[in-house]
Amino acid sequence: MSFLGGGIFSGMAVTLRNFVGSYFDPDRLTTNDYSWRPEGQLPQSAGEYPREEGEQLSDATTVTNYSRNFPMLLHDGGDNPMDAIRCVACQICERECPPQCIYIEKDYGEDGKFIKRPAVFDIDVSVCMSCQICVEVCPFDAIVMNSQFELSTPNRFDGLLLRREDLLKSNGYYHRIHPEEAAQRDQRMAEEKAAKEAKKKAAAEAAKKKAEEKARAEAEAKAQEETGDKEEEAQ
Amino acid sequence: MVAPNYELIEQDGLETSLLEVSMGPHHPSTHGVFRMDVKLDGETVVDLKPVFGYLHRNHEKLAENMSYLANMPFTDRLDYFNSMTNNWAYALAAEELVEIEVPERAEYLRVIMAELTRLVNHVSLVGFFVNDLGALGTPLMYAFREREKILDLFEEASGARMMCNYFRFGGLRCDVPAGWLDRAREVVDQFPKFLDEYEKLLCENEIILSRTQGVGTLSRELAINAGITGPMLRASGVAYDLRKVDAYGIYDRFQFRVPYGEVGDCYDRFMVRMLEMRESVQILKQALDGIPEGEIMGKAPRVFKPKPAEVYGRVEGPKGELGFYLIADGTPKPYRYRVRPPSLINLTVLRDMCLGQKIADAVVILGSIDIVLGEVDR
Amino acid sequence: MSFELVVAILIATVPLLVIFPSLFALTTWLERKALARIQNRRGPNKVGIPCTRIGLFGLGQPAADGIKMLFKEDIVPNGADRLFHLLAPILALIPAMLVLCFLPLDFSFVAVWDESIAKDIKAVQGFALDGAVIFFFAITGINTLSVFMAGWASRNKYSLLGGMRAIAQMISYEIPLVLSAVVVVMMVGSLNAKEIADAQMGWNWYVFTPWGLAAFIIFFIAALAETNRSPFDLPEAESELIAGYFTEYSGFKFALFFLGEYISMFAISGLAAVLFLGGGEGPWVAVYPWLAVGWFLAKIFSLIFVMIWLRGTLPRLRVDQLMAFAWKFLLPISIINILISGIAWHLREQGAAVTAGVWGVSLGILYVTAVGLNKLNRANVKPREYKYAE
Repeated sequence: MSFLGGGIFSGMAVTLRNFVGSYFDPDRLTTNDYSWRPEGQLPQSAGEYPREEGEQLSDATTVTNYSRNFPMLLHDGGDNPMDAIRCVACQICERECPPQCIYIEKDYGEDGKFIKRPAVFDIDVSVCMSCQICVEVCPFDAIVMNSQFELSTPNRFDGLLLRREDLLKSNGYYHRIHPEEAAQRDQRMAEEKAAKEAKKKAAAEAAKKKAEEKARAEAEAKAQEETGDKEEEAQ
Repeated sequence: MVAPNYELIEQDGLETSLLEVSMGPHHPSTHGVFRMDVKLDGETVVDLKPVFGYLHRNHEKLAENMSYLANMPFTDRLDYFNSMTNNWAYALAAEELVEIEVPERAEYLRVIMAELTRLVNHVSLVGFFVNDLGALGTPLMYAFREREKILDLFEEASGARMMCNYFRFGGLRCDVPAGWLDRAREVVDQFPKFLDEYEKLLCENEIILSRTQGVGTLSRELAINAGITGPMLRASGVAYDLRKVDAYGIYDRFQFRVPYGEVGDCYDRFMVRMLEMRESVQILKQALDGIPEGEIMGKAPRVFKPKPAEVYGRVEGPKGELGFYLIADGTPKPYRYRVRPPSLINLTVLRDMCLGQKIADAVVILGSIDIVLGEVDR
Repeated sequence: MSFELVVAILIATVPLLVIFPSLFALTTWLERKALARIQNRRGPNKVGIPCTRIGLFGLGQPAADGIKMLFKEDIVPNGADRLFHLLAPILALIPAMLVLCFLPLDFSFVAVWDESIAKDIKAVQGFALDGAVIFFFAITGINTLSVFMAGWASRNKYSLLGGMRAIAQMISYEIPLVLSAVVVVMMVGSLNAKEIADAQMGWNWYVFTPWGLAAFIIFFIAALAETNRSPFDLPEAESELIAGYFTEYSGFKFALFFLGEYISMFAISGLAAVLFLGGGEGPWVAVYPWLAVGWFLAKIFSLIFVMIWLRGTLPRLRVDQLMAFAWKFLLPISIINILISGIAWHLREQGAAVTAGVWGVSLGILYVTAVGLNKLNRANVKPREYKYAE
């Protein structure tokens, strides 16, 4: 617009169009409306969340199937999660974590032998920067990223220190919050397992074949010895 | 009233006094914790001293104690608006150390992420710039609506909106999910509509024209001598863009133009960024059309232990030339890790641009340089 | 002093003291919601009926803000002048409320239940001043004094500078304000608000004439500057160096400053509605006389909506550009406007063709003057073309 004040008028037209449009087109709105919690529900402290596994504490969140917040340990189901925990306390994630927020202690049995699970697995989420490097370096697919973010607690001393029990979540929960990633991970684990089984079977077959050959060679050698002896006797 | 530390000047028998003001670290308009000590003669700026360091987090020394991969999340936090280009610059430097080849699909995705980051940065900048001028947040909200769409794309690809930690040495961390390319296409296709609306709102507005034209002029010679890079250099008349000069990645396969201005005032810097956004949209369309299927990671060594060498990897970040200078000494940790921060080097000419302008203009000029304190202080 | 007179006085003044502050609360709510919708967000929508979860579109927000302001600690800077620190917000509020009285709101419909009170109300109503317009300008001049007191009494060099800038802005924009009101006063021949409103009966609003339109635009721009609204809100600027002359005010005194600003917005919009928009005139007023109040308030609110709309769209002017705009642009145009309207008034009885010719000539002169002054002041400010390198 080239008349005097034209720029101001075209600016006002744009603003008016946005004003009217924001009533009719909810996609225009930049902000989310954070809806009310169910009556009486407060953000729960880290030690007792969530009441049910996979429960999100508020419905109008911006958490998607892809967002990551803090780590969690996976277990494969069953009555006692600690029996099916995937983590074997190899401490690779503790070494690779950039801000060093993981603390692991191995679990030893009564006879002093190392049981393949952690006795202590602490993550200080006030230090954790959600970089996901622990997930990448874990060779056992034992630690993945959770997407819950309502971890505020009134306890400022160890309220933000998540212990092993807080971090344990089932594989089913993982499928619910990150379906694609969980499916890919399960597929990869199954393939690796199948490959390992195939290799073991092939190695077993090869070993069996080798043992058979060795037995045959020994039998042949023994037979030859006997014939040699027999020849000597005949002479 | 207690007399502040005035300096009295005598002229023709009349005493004038200079007012020394510190636009302190807590301030609604300086982009981050940044302080300017300004000496004013009435409304005119007579001297200006920038003071920074309030956000120094010891990034470079910390990096000497961590492995190369563990440094990647910290580069996200340097220039916290553009985490993807920071990652790319570091990945370029490290890939030169170890000579990894990056597969095609990863290169295309890198370009897509970098150009989306450029859109995010420029859109935030024009929003904040007009906010500094006093428009009470309306253009800022429009700009952030577009930024939200792009941040949603980043979240789907990498899991986090801002601190993506997406690039790895030899490729990317993971592939984008199914349907991401179509969603990115949608976002890119309706971006020019926002640019048109923005131009109608702002670029003919008489108030903006009179407040930004002729303000904070940076001459071509001073820009080249001071080592300015990025849109600030292009606004002063030098058409220097690392995407054309270095042609890192696969940028030589895309057709795009480089806009440049002539006068070098705040209006030119603002408009150069608006035009660069259009060019980025062109690059994005070409990249989204031509992306092949394939691998995401090249053959990276199991343990990253490069032989002793020194390397400088640089990209055309949205704010300027972002460079990483690495000295490796055979151990898994770098010996020296140095970041060339474009915001800091662009800040060195703040005083020259502000002398003689009004105090209100100092805020506008600072906004047009486009600094991020995470990068200035590291 | 009969009982009926006392009742009449109360009926005339109490609605003003009750209605306008509640309208002020409504305006703050409206401003926040309208600004939010312009910016594509929702604005306050959770504060509604207390102790329930019903958020009545955030209508409880002004009450919540008021209660919060009341409970804040009142901080006076050490060594500041306590008397003037206290007096400044009061002096910002009283003139604003005082000038509301001259608005030609006809509350006589209240008295239909008792004829004897009706004539007393008409006598008291609206302070029927013969010099209402002059009264308005005189009293709003006190606003400048309160700004000065606020800036001085804060013992803060930034508040002082902000206060000085605000005073300079306010006194320079008073002149175009008054000169554009002079146009209408000349056409009517009286300063009485009621007579000016009555002279526009039958859709003869002054805004529909060229000089009236120019005067209305100048009046509106000067009104924005008088009440320190964007784009002239330099004294309140947040991203400037100085947070303004009321930096050091907290709690209820701050609320009083805001109350004063919004009520003076009302008052100036009311004057604009009376002078230019026919104050109280609208459809069906002859049938239902009490609808005049409704139309008057509707006009005030639409002007306030335009003020909010401008606040959400335009950036701020720098202080020297602001002063140049007042002295080098608005003042010459308003003087030429007076000349043109005087000529038009003398030629008003000459028939339709002459009237049309006068209208055309005046439109032309006003437009050419505006464009010429603009070119004179800001000659080389225009959008640019950019080059590309391959």
